[in-house]
Amino acid sequence: MKRIIYILSAFLSINLAVGQTPVKKGNVLIQNATVLTITDGVQEETDVLVENGIIKKIGKGLSAPSNTPSINAKGKYLMPGIIDAHSHLALSVVNEATSPITAEVWMGDVVDPFDVGIYRALAGGVTVSNAMHGSANAIGGRNITLKHRYGTHNPEELIMTEAPRTIKFALGENPTRVHGRGKGIQPRSRMGVEAIIRNGFNEAIQYRKAWENYKKASGLKNSTAVPPKYNLRLETLADILEGKLIIHCHSYRADEINMLINVCKDFGIKNIVFTHVNEGFKVAPELAAYTLGASVFADWWAYKFEVYYSTSYNAAILAKNGVITSINSDDAELIRHLYHEAGKTQRYGELSDDEALAMITINPAKQLGIADKVGSIEEGKQADLVIFDKHPLSIYAIPQMTFVDGVKYFDINEDKNDQRIKVSPTEVVEPIFLGDHDHKCMHGVEMFEETGEFFGTH
Amino acid sequence: MTKFYKQTFLSFTVAGVFSFFSYGTFAQSDPTGERRVTGTYAITNATVLAAPGAAARTATIIVKNGLIDQIGNNPTIPLDAQTIKGDSLFVYAGFIDLTSTVGVAAPSIPERPANFDPSRPAPVYVGITPQYEVLNYFDALEEDADKWRKTGVTTLHLLPKGEGMLPGTTAVVLNGQKGASNVLSSSGSLYVRFQTVRGLSPGTTLGIMAKWREIYQNAELSAKHQTLFAGNNGVVRAEKDPVLEAFFPVINRQVPVLFEVSNELDIRRVLGLQKEKGFNLIVSGVNEGSSLVPVLKASKAQVVISLDVPDDNAFKKEIKEASEEVNDNLERVKEAYLARLALATNFEKEGIPFAFGSTNVKSEDFLKNIRLMVENGLSEEAALAALTTNPAGMLGLERVLGTVEKGKLANLVITTDSLFKKTAEVKHVFVDGYLFQYETNGESNESDKSKKNDLTGAWDYETVTPQGSSSGLMTIKNEDGKYSGTITFDDPEGSGSKSADLSNIKVSGKTLEFQFNVDVQGMSISVSVSGEVSGNEYEGKLTIPDFGSVPFTASKSPDSNI
Repeated sequence: MKRIIYILSAFLSINLAVGQTPVKKGNVLIQNATVLTITDGVQEETDVLVENGIIKKIGKGLSAPSNTPSINAKGKYLMPGIIDAHSHLALSVVNEATSPITAEVWMGDVVDPFDVGIYRALAGGVTVSNAMHGSANAIGGRNITLKHRYGTHNPEELIMTEAPRTIKFALGENPTRVHGRGKGIQPRSRMGVEAIIRNGFNEAIQYRKAWENYKKASGLKNSTAVPPKYNLRLETLADILEGKLIIHCHSYRADEINMLINVCKDFGIKNIVFTHVNEGFKVAPELAAYTLGASVFADWWAYKFEVYYSTSYNAAILAKNGVITSINSDDAELIRHLYHEAGKTQRYGELSDDEALAMITINPAKQLGIADKVGSIEEGKQADLVIFDKHPLSIYAIPQMTFVDGVKYFDINEDKNDQRIKVSPTEVVEPIFLGDHDHKCMHGVEMFEETGEFFGTH
Repeated sequence: MTKFYKQTFLSFTVAGVFSFFSYGTFAQSDPTGERRVTGTYAITNATVLAAPGAAARTATIIVKNGLIDQIGNNPTIPLDAQTIKGDSLFVYAGFIDLTSTVGVAAPSIPERPANFDPSRPAPVYVGITPQYEVLNYFDALEEDADKWRKTGVTTLHLLPKGEGMLPGTTAVVLNGQKGASNVLSSSGSLYVRFQTVRGLSPGTTLGIMAKWREIYQNAELSAKHQTLFAGNNGVVRAEKDPVLEAFFPVINRQVPVLFEVSNELDIRRVLGLQKEKGFNLIVSGVNEGSSLVPVLKASKAQVVISLDVPDDNAFKKEIKEASEEVNDNLERVKEAYLARLALATNFEKEGIPFAFGSTNVKSEDFLKNIRLMVENGLSEEAALAALTTNPAGMLGLERVLGTVEKGKLANLVITTDSLFKKTAEVKHVFVDGYLFQYETNGESNESDKSKKNDLTGAWDYETVTPQGSSSGLMTIKNEDGKYSGTITFDDPEGSGSKSADLSNIKVSGKTLEFQFNVDVQGMSISVSVSGEVSGNEYEGKLTIPDFGSVPFTASKSPDSNI
């Protein structure tokens, strides 16, 4: 009997291993740290106990089960893992730039767990990123929220399965250049972009209706109802209309931001985040009233015509107007020091420590719909944590250890130099693409350029 | 032209005397002279490896009517049989290449209309043509086919060519006699690739994944619709969509999907799609993925390992004054290379059966790369299974192919030595009972003996060290088959030159190795040189202990033969 149970349990566990992707979860006790909770102020000389990947307790003089590893973080700073709401890290492909709407594609299909950029992001304290489709299309693909569980061959282990779906939209110069000028199809102008989006939603309404009618009719006795064609693109757009996805919209100009807010109002869409938003300061009240906020660069502009009207005070102005504001990287290099980027809001706008750090923690968490799970140090939240040697808003601060789900994935003292998971058997020096970070957003779309000229990037 | 034709022609007159008795001979002329005299053969006293893992046995095989008619110790040899003396030969079942495109042409793509919209192209423009059958684009086998036959490949699983993700369905043909009907099975797998047509939708792996899901789902709906339409009145007419209809056999699990992959992430994508719909799957082009063993097992997918092996140049490159970091890096590159070679070994250990595919592999590298895998731990049994029984099973043709057994198709590979030895060569190949014969190197060496490298003579050599280049003269003699020689070099302790005798001179094939001693400050340093001779040129390296290697080249003055 014992043997049978043994075999049975072995069988079940194998099935489990195959059926569901196991995610590593750790236990750790971090002691005597200056804990930057983000949502509950700064707590000096405080312990944080992590059990099974979850923050179990925050307090002084905590004790842990005997086999829990402990880290003395006296004199060090503990903050929640940094969250990047706009990234293209760990993706084999960024743009499916072949149609003005490509809502059918999903970045989850092209997650590249071997991208050493994930490790570099961990070394900058980033534990969660939104791996986004590029900005070539008015409506791009569905994005994927990643947790940086570096070290696996299995892309599924990186996926934050509990995060809601998000989708990329893009306004302005990129979609009009790729499709309008590049291929001679709609959209050729900002008006065309609006038309593309409105048409898409209207088609999705009809599509959903056709399926609902079919489902009703096919349930009847002796039904001869015929199923409509399946269309993954319209399926996704219909889900947006039903509030199942959060739109993350690439945008720069105030007029186009206003346009999309109006479109969303017309179609009853509430879940929308604007990203880049360089002219966001002009429409801050509207953004505050109607959206999940703005995800901006700290001080990056003038890389193409639509990005000239910009200010470093953008983030602070938005925040002071009550807009949920995050600072993103959109870039494999910038993602390594988002805490510097957050610090710039203190130079330009005199934000408080909490306000500045919220821009790379709880605010992006809200924009990704995961603020109940990550983004602050609270009991019951997932143990994504970073230990800094100095206050993270100090220019001298260096991350020391980074944890995801209580598992340590970065340790400045213990890690090997070579952190690549996979190595090419035929190249000693793997190719490095200089300037690659400049055009991730438009990655893979050069072929559609009329003359090969490259105007803009993000 | 193979030797087959010549042999047939020569023996025609001789055999003509007996043709009166022979089976299947009719009183009509054969002005081409190409028709074979007999289809009956006896391979006598050969070492037969009937199946992977079976013990080698000495037996005589009778081939008749395209089949293995007899196999045994002493079967009666039919009167009309042509005999092949197999005393020193090894017989294997013919090899099956699961990813061949020999003789396959790409279908032409129609011209794009004036109002062509690249975001919504008709399927034919983006290679979504699963309804295309490869045999419609397959021309009689050409010289190419003989190259593959010569390497032992007797059965070809033909993949359709063309651009895009769904070029068509596959078929199985025998790599046999030109003019014969060689089709074995026309209802092959549905062939899918991660390939797109530039600038059109779908344009990337992202688009392909979405497109696949959409087509599959719509094929299921279309099948449902057609059934409804066929059985009821008052049903909206079911449109016939050739793309969707090509998916019906896949949905009904009648044929597998053969998905071409190029890396581990592709494999995971494909296994993910299979998990969604549960179709029968062959993953082809597998070149990495040891970490995938449990998922591969669970998926029950069949595996075709790519014989496209990377070269070993990268980590063998000598980097001067390499730092520790660079050396560590080289070590990782080497590990990656060895891991690739050991992939098949790994799958064997884990109990994942596999076949081999030749995509992007030249025919001359086919056996070479398999032997490389055997050198890296793959058992001969598993290697042979991957060439014969496993692919036969994947194609559902195990009844007629894969082993040397009575009643199976006479597809045989006859080699001069045990197949996985480097020196073994294919001497005869039977396909469908047709005999093809090949000249082996052993034979050509005999006739080319005069062309063999003559090492004796005076060689001017040059070697380049970090301190600069130096040169000298090396003289090689051959007395009664024994090599000896001397070499001159710059005196390391002063000016002028010194001379030393060559020792340990080894010659095998093209390689020439020797050593000599240099006396420096009372120490005798042993210097070794190894390299390859090609005509009057020698290229190799000179190795000094604890110092490293430097290039060493030499050329012989043509009239210096002693």
